[in-house]
Amino acid sequence: MTRSTLRPAALGLALVLLLLAGCSREPTLYDRKFLAFGTLVEVSVYGGQRKQVEAAIDAVESQFRYMQKTWNPWHPGALARVDSLLGTTDWFSVAPSVRPLIVRATELSKASGGLFDPAVGQLIKLWGFNQDARPDVPPPDPKAIADLTAQNPRMTDIQFDGIRVRSRNPAVYLDFGGFAKGYGIDRTIDFLKSQGIHNAIINAGGDLRAIGRHGDRPWRIGIRNPRGEGMIASVDVQGDESVFTSGDYERFFIYKGVRYHHIIDPRTGYPTRDTTSATVIGTDGATCDATATAMMVAGPKDWYRVAKAMGAHYVMLMGNDGTVYMNPAMAKRIHFETKKPPKVVLSPPL
Amino acid sequence: MKTITATSEDYLVAWLAALAVTIHVAEAALPSPLPGVKPGLANVITIAVLVRFGWRTAAWVALLRVLAGSLLIGTFLSPTFFLSASGAAASMLVLWPASRLPGRGFGPVGYSLLAAMAHMAGQFAVAYGAFIPHPAMLHLLPVLMTASVVFGVVNGIIVRTLLNSLRAPAAEHAPSPPAP
Amino acid sequence: MTRADWTLLILTLVLLPTLYVGLWGDRGAGESVEIWIPGQKPQVLSLDRNQTVEVQGSLGTSVIEIRDHKARFIASPCTGKVCIHAGWQQHAGELAACLPNKVAIEILGRDRRYDSINF
Repeated sequence: MTRSTLRPAALGLALVLLLLAGCSREPTLYDRKFLAFGTLVEVSVYGGQRKQVEAAIDAVESQFRYMQKTWNPWHPGALARVDSLLGTTDWFSVAPSVRPLIVRATELSKASGGLFDPAVGQLIKLWGFNQDARPDVPPPDPKAIADLTAQNPRMTDIQFDGIRVRSRNPAVYLDFGGFAKGYGIDRTIDFLKSQGIHNAIINAGGDLRAIGRHGDRPWRIGIRNPRGEGMIASVDVQGDESVFTSGDYERFFIYKGVRYHHIIDPRTGYPTRDTTSATVIGTDGATCDATATAMMVAGPKDWYRVAKAMGAHYVMLMGNDGTVYMNPAMAKRIHFETKKPPKVVLSPPL
Repeated sequence: MKTITATSEDYLVAWLAALAVTIHVAEAALPSPLPGVKPGLANVITIAVLVRFGWRTAAWVALLRVLAGSLLIGTFLSPTFFLSASGAAASMLVLWPASRLPGRGFGPVGYSLLAAMAHMAGQFAVAYGAFIPHPAMLHLLPVLMTASVVFGVVNGIIVRTLLNSLRAPAAEHAPSPPAP
Repeated sequence: MTRADWTLLILTLVLLPTLYVGLWGDRGAGESVEIWIPGQKPQVLSLDRNQTVEVQGSLGTSVIEIRDHKARFIASPCTGKVCIHAGWQQHAGELAACLPNKVAIEILGRDRRYDSINF
């Protein structure tokens, strides 16, 4: 090369190297798993400084442990104490850690027309779903079920007077179940945002809330096939969205060929029979969980009314025969991943 | 007062650039199976100019082609313009060191192939980086690059044929070279 | 056509297929499976080698099978056997867990097909 061409060549090379250097830096994806709320929690964070992110995830982990203890109705703790006092029907000061759950759950219970109602803890205990490993026993006596159901414990039985509450109905026993998990995810997401983390997913036992994006693309969420292997569908989420699914496969037992699962219909006292799963995509976890639970109870015939009443925008319900029901907006954003797409029934817009 | 006198080379460049623009505009009217997949026949002019008149002249022709072409089609400063410009810039950038290769270097087919691939890569980089950063775009890239290889070779052959036919008539009239 | 032309053409034709393999290949395919037990260092096994692994959880032994670049639970001391029913885990990001026994398996790989699994 001649002298006159050396300088521009060197400049050009420098420019190319600079560009390449800029391309190669890929932000880290931090990923941590831990057990809490009796389930597997996975926290994923995209980007950020290692020390800061690890410290934040440490804090999230300890927050989950605290919430698990506080909101467990079957072991000594704040909620267990609240439940025993509710049974007395006397006024008492409710623990500040429990009060917000009661308030929010009552709002959602009303919106669901009573289909979502955590006040039926006694029924859950009767069916044996208050334990992690249910012993291999038959379903409870129908008379016992009928008696409890007749007592009609309801969130709306709870009365408020400032910091004090009471229950009109001694049969009320609060077991928030997945709702507490959703609420816990909401609080820990708020915490991550307060720490300057804006691209993350918190997944607790399959129910998740995702904020931000995975770098230059949205977060890709796979929805597990309730009946087969692998995923039934995938969906992209970004901004601030929760994906919650209630199903008949999470806690269940089979007796004489019949499946009994942990989502009890408060009206009948029995687990629901015609729905396999309900998936809701929305903003906060607590609302999505309540909506998915209510939809499970409503079933293929009534889910639309309930979803609309609870203000849902993207819902999907799978019936026991494999039919998938969803609203048009959900159909637009979901991609089926099965070799053969399922039978889909579209509802009117939500 | 300084007068700008146009040299005969200026006229030639202008004429070639006009030819390139004409081909470019005509080709723009043709439908393409995939966005970005075009034979790029105007590049025949660019490469022919590169071989005969060197890189600087070819760069001028390419620049004029992109500018005038976009003004005529009406896509000046539109996304299409930026894609076209980045493709042209990338191919010219690659052609510069290629044209300075020691020894015999590349022929028209080699230059055309290089230019076509650089053009497609440059366009894709801008399309993917600035306009559609969707993973599905990456799925298109192998197809786009294959098309650029095919058209690059075809255009190169056209350039070679063109240059040979331009030389041949002159050789007919020239006196035959003395026997060795 | 000059020597340089031919060299370039041959190089291009050789490298072009790699573009297809790189971008069209199963990018989400898993490369290894991570066996996770809380409080312990995760065990990472390559999916290239078929094998069965026994791991000790809180309740007892879970057995994990690795075959044909996939992994799954084939035995576990839990009552619900949800882990076994989850079936084969194949793509990066897929996960199955035996909660009672506190054992989880997750497929690791370059491009996670899913960032998180909802179930």
